[in-house]
Amino acid sequence: MTIVDQVHALLFVADSPTKLDQLAVALNVTEGQIEQAIEVLESHFAQAGPVQLVRLAGGIQLSTKPEYAEILGAFLKPQRQRMSRSLLEVLAIVAYRQPITLGEIEAIRGVNSDYSVRILAERHFLHELGRKPVPGRPVLYGTTQQFLHQFKLNSLDQLPAPVPEGYELPALPGPEG
Amino acid sequence: MAVAVVGSPKTLSALGMVAPTDLEIKLPAFEGSLSALFNVVRERKIDLMDVPLFPICESYFKYILTASLENLDEAAAALSALAYLLERKAWLLLPVDEPEPEVVEDDLTSILPTAQEYRVIVEALTVWRDERADLFFRSADAGPDPYELPFTISNVTALDLAKAFERVLERAEPNTIEPLNKPRKSLQDQMALVLRILGKEFVPLTDLMPERYTRTEAVYWFLAVLELMRLGQVVARVEGDTVEFALP
Repeated sequence: MTIVDQVHALLFVADSPTKLDQLAVALNVTEGQIEQAIEVLESHFAQAGPVQLVRLAGGIQLSTKPEYAEILGAFLKPQRQRMSRSLLEVLAIVAYRQPITLGEIEAIRGVNSDYSVRILAERHFLHELGRKPVPGRPVLYGTTQQFLHQFKLNSLDQLPAPVPEGYELPALPGPEG
Repeated sequence: MAVAVVGSPKTLSALGMVAPTDLEIKLPAFEGSLSALFNVVRERKIDLMDVPLFPICESYFKYILTASLENLDEAAAALSALAYLLERKAWLLLPVDEPEPEVVEDDLTSILPTAQEYRVIVEALTVWRDERADLFFRSADAGPDPYELPFTISNVTALDLAKAFERVLERAEPNTIEPLNKPRKSLQDQMALVLRILGKEFVPLTDLMPERYTRTEAVYWFLAVLELMRLGQVVARVEGDTVEFALP
């Protein structure tokens, strides 16, 4: 039984992203050996089969390849939650400015945002990080691992930089492209 | 501005209701009795923001102190009328929530101008979310119910844990009234918090917790530690008569 097979077995049973150090501890090997095993697995999966390795939320997880999405969707019939622009906008602001209070989010957006924050917290995209040491001690919000997972992000560093104030955005293409 | 009690009419309305005490009100915006003010406000014939209610209430209190017990019905009717006016005015004074604009799902131009800075991120998140929807993962709950898995808690007994919880509860303060729209805290978040704070060094639960906490918070802390022990992410030991916790 090789390390590659052992890593494969662990990733197969894991139901959430697994960190390299967790795999290393479980198999009593170094993280470097785990990294090598993962590279071997990645190339193996890339050649054939419906499964791939994805790096999500700071860990590694097995998933199906995107080309199988249609048949899997027809089989599993996943219920996709609607994500409005307002929710995405609040999420983007929190992702960049965290830890951030509801008042600060509203100051950026210029509109009441407590509904959006509440919905995002209920969906586990946002969570409380503590309280700001100012009068009223408002709740500080931050993004969760679930946010990274649901948006196919490995870490917050992958987010694009915000467009600086005053920067002229290029015109967007029309519906025809 | 002047408000005065000009006497009790002791009249019954057409519906058989007792009329309120006749407080005579003289204001730039209104002149007449409390009953008349009540009616014009209810029929929206006057802007209540122009009517200061404090002197009217003050006059009413003065009247209550001097009125005889025979006028209780009238006083109660006046109180109802005043309560109505105060409630109406309180609603008027509340800030009006600006509703979030209705936005079309695919209309990229409809993002609020104040948040333009974040537009590029919103677009990226939209794309990534769509890409993520094409990936499927193993679902949880394969195998036996994890709650039935045995786990070791070293020399700690259930009684030790109960005593530790009792100590924590002794220091807890009564629960505060939370706003209705406050997102409900999850045990998962509390467990993450415990993991962030806890180190390799054994400490009692009270050392992890803030100086002041409510009974509900105490329950959350204790449940989070118990759940982490069950998952093997926290270990416990008894030192003297204290249960201490640490990361394994």
